[in-house]
Amino acid sequence: MVEIFIGLEIHIQLMTRSKVFCSCEMISGEEPNTRICPVCMGYPGVLPAVNEQALFLSYLMGSALNCTLAQKTWFDRKNYFYPDMTKNYQISQFSSPVGRGGWMDYLEKGELKRVHIHDIHLEEDAGKMVHQGNFSLLDYNRAGSSLLEIVTEPELTSPEAAEVFLQSFRSLVRCLRACDGNMETGSLRCDANVSVNSLGMGLGTKVEIKNLNSSRFVRKALEYEVRRQSRLMQAGKPVIQETRLWNEQSGKTESMRTKEEAKDYRYFPEPDIPPFVPSEAFLNRVTSSLTELPAARELRYIREYGLTEETAHYLAEERERAEYFEELISSGTEVAAAAAWIKGELAKLQGRYAFSLSDGTLPPQAVTTVVRMTGTEELTVQQAKQVLELMVQRGIVQPEEVIAQEGFKKAEDDGELKEIISKIVAEHLNAAEQIRDGNMKAVGYLMGMVMKETRQSADPRTARRLLLEEIGCKQEE
Amino acid sequence: MSELFPAVWKQITSSPRHLKCYEQAVAALDTDTCAFLELRTDLGVSLAEPAVKEYGSLSGIPFAVKDNIAVKGFQFSCGSQILAGLRSPYTATAVERLLHAGAVPIGKTNLDEFGMGSSNQNSACKPTVNPWDLSRVPGGSSGGSAAAVSAGYVPFALGSDTGGSVRQPAAFCGIFGFKPTYGTVSRYGLAAYASSLETIGFMTAQAEQLIPIFEAASGADGRDQTSLDCSDTTDLTEGIQTVAVLAGDLGLDAPVLRGYSKAIEAFRSLGWNIVEVKLPSLDYAVPSYYTIASAEASANLARYTGVRYGSRSREEHDHQHMVRRTRDEGFGKEVKLRILLGTYVLREGFQDQYYVQAQKIRTLIRNEFSKLFTKAGVLLLPTFPIQAFPIGDGGLTSMQQKLADRFTLPANLAGLPAVSFPTGIESGLPVGMQLMGPAMSDRSLIRLTAHVSRCFPEVALPRRFSPGEVTHG
Repeated sequence: MVEIFIGLEIHIQLMTRSKVFCSCEMISGEEPNTRICPVCMGYPGVLPAVNEQALFLSYLMGSALNCTLAQKTWFDRKNYFYPDMTKNYQISQFSSPVGRGGWMDYLEKGELKRVHIHDIHLEEDAGKMVHQGNFSLLDYNRAGSSLLEIVTEPELTSPEAAEVFLQSFRSLVRCLRACDGNMETGSLRCDANVSVNSLGMGLGTKVEIKNLNSSRFVRKALEYEVRRQSRLMQAGKPVIQETRLWNEQSGKTESMRTKEEAKDYRYFPEPDIPPFVPSEAFLNRVTSSLTELPAARELRYIREYGLTEETAHYLAEERERAEYFEELISSGTEVAAAAAWIKGELAKLQGRYAFSLSDGTLPPQAVTTVVRMTGTEELTVQQAKQVLELMVQRGIVQPEEVIAQEGFKKAEDDGELKEIISKIVAEHLNAAEQIRDGNMKAVGYLMGMVMKETRQSADPRTARRLLLEEIGCKQEE
Repeated sequence: MSELFPAVWKQITSSPRHLKCYEQAVAALDTDTCAFLELRTDLGVSLAEPAVKEYGSLSGIPFAVKDNIAVKGFQFSCGSQILAGLRSPYTATAVERLLHAGAVPIGKTNLDEFGMGSSNQNSACKPTVNPWDLSRVPGGSSGGSAAAVSAGYVPFALGSDTGGSVRQPAAFCGIFGFKPTYGTVSRYGLAAYASSLETIGFMTAQAEQLIPIFEAASGADGRDQTSLDCSDTTDLTEGIQTVAVLAGDLGLDAPVLRGYSKAIEAFRSLGWNIVEVKLPSLDYAVPSYYTIASAEASANLARYTGVRYGSRSREEHDHQHMVRRTRDEGFGKEVKLRILLGTYVLREGFQDQYYVQAQKIRTLIRNEFSKLFTKAGVLLLPTFPIQAFPIGDGGLTSMQQKLADRFTLPANLAGLPAVSFPTGIESGLPVGMQLMGPAMSDRSLIRLTAHVSRCFPEVALPRRFSPGEVTHG
């Protein structure tokens, strides 16, 4: 039996308007080298001026990750030469990170798990290299962007756990609005370290894996690496301490550099930026910006609302969705109905019309009104869905307005409906025949005719019952 | 304030015709002194702001800028081959503020490469010589600025002082050189050599002239978070007037020792108490300084690789090779020495032995000065143990130059203000003495220097450039 130890080093680009040490705007996808200035280009004579919002988001993350927050924090220079680093040293934190010794709780298959955080530190991002044949192009738009590195302890015990943790972490940073969590664009990046050892023997020889651009790659690379290391162990061969790169094409990790080649970064305190001592007001602002985190929410939804793990996870994963869910409930929608509408119709409409739950397109009170009207049979479910869609289409936030426009009202009585149904059955004797023979597919066909004829005003359950009665078929249960 | 600077300067800078004559005259004279690396009055005037040029506190006053300080459009070589061809895309805060006061930058002056040296012989360009004796060095690293002020080309110049680079050349050239309290003048735009030690400094022919210049250029700057306002209103001439002087054999050359005695005498004649002090930690100032300065330099100079600006080696097989060749070809010997030294002292496992130790000494020196300034208002000490030395082999070796920095380094290690002022001519060459004050006593220290200087004969180069020649010529 082997034991697996996985730790993650996660980099998140903080959602600050400007870069961490200069006033260049932080936007991705711009023309190369258009978001640069003498400071982030490392011209002679320039100095870094630290962005307070970056420090704020760092402390916020530290607080959310239960770290001991630094009473005094400063920057260090990490020295190494690389073409995407304009100063050939990175301003980072080494001896006094913003936060140390925290933890993060996350849910894996409904079970609460905890991973300890070694430290979190603020630093500047590098530029990007674009390799073209035998030369490279440099784009410094990203150089100097605010980057927060979160280092976990090696406590994850399987590649799947690492994937789940990372997804949960992504949800947390989005919830705090510290980072957009986008792994494809590189706003969230992850390196993993892994070691394998015989059960009870403690940590094995650590291998670091880089170039993991999605949480799926994190799992796949770790699975490959665990297999590789286990095979080496079985063969009695040593695992070499090294850094490896994940190659998605080959589905393998490849050696990048061994420990012997490891660099001496010659850290020393950054003389250009004085130490930062957070004021009481600053720390109060951090505390008041904290919000219930996704894992805690998910657990609460399961325990308090009796939702399934899957539904609770879906609702709690995104802050605006969770808040919308809670607003639906507080404005009077039943828990189950609120969950069902968000997962079903609202998700569908969002996909179709690209709006966000928090932007006021469909105020929660309006949805509650519509849902309530289905309960009192003022609207059929079908009509309710139509009302919501028309509200989005027409930019109307009052459901009553759409209902009036459409002339939706509850079908007067069964008599009128019966008349319509017998007419339709009389016109489609063939279909009725098939239904009597047990081909229930035709029911849908006839129901469609009924609903069309009643302009969706019929209650589908009643209509179906009357239709089957008319045909002479027993209502199936 | 205006009478501090002759009115003729404003006449020159406000007339394109005079300006042209002025530039030509200075350029001709400077073929001997080599103070300027670039002289461009047209460029300077284009940067100046018309409104303040008329009414600012320094309106129309031309000045020279050491070539390790950024002025938009001007070259920015730092005296190094590696930055050949670079034009600055921006202007340093201190220069910007002087422009706001109406002053006009007219050119960039020579220096020891990246400020590393005390002779100007470490410049990648033709070295500047001392206007008092063309066979001698002007001092360094702000030798070009010192020579330009001393020769009368400009009424004032900017230098930078990391370990004495404003004060020592001022002493060698017979002018005033002021190093402000660390942080009172923004470093934004000063090409970094040793960030925690250096500051932009000012050089003038008269002590009083330093006041409006410091007033205009200083103050907190959002682009330099180590900067702050010089808000203190210390008056060093108030209360019991006590000046501290160094006891014991200071290892001074005879003319410098004579200058020191005269300066002490001057204070006594003004009614000041003299107290002899010993500063034991000063013995460690030189090793401490060179450890810290080199460590910071090794990181500060890492950006010069030819990738984004400056000169790049023609040999470029791959990035690493290109960077190595560029740095090998682009940096001079002294710069390479300090980068290597700095890299060495910062190695993992060796920091406690060197860098951390040096920082501890620095703290001791700071504490020693804090204690000293409870007993005395100012400290009077020599600027440099010898006068301007000969160019070439007859001068000081690189090691001797470093040891001779012992009187100027402490102000940088402790971040304190210090002024070098001329005490007269000894053996045909100027001698300079130094006054150091407590942090933030900058204004008062300048006023005291002006007061004391009245006890000494005026030191002026006999064949000085006179701006009057331009307007009358």
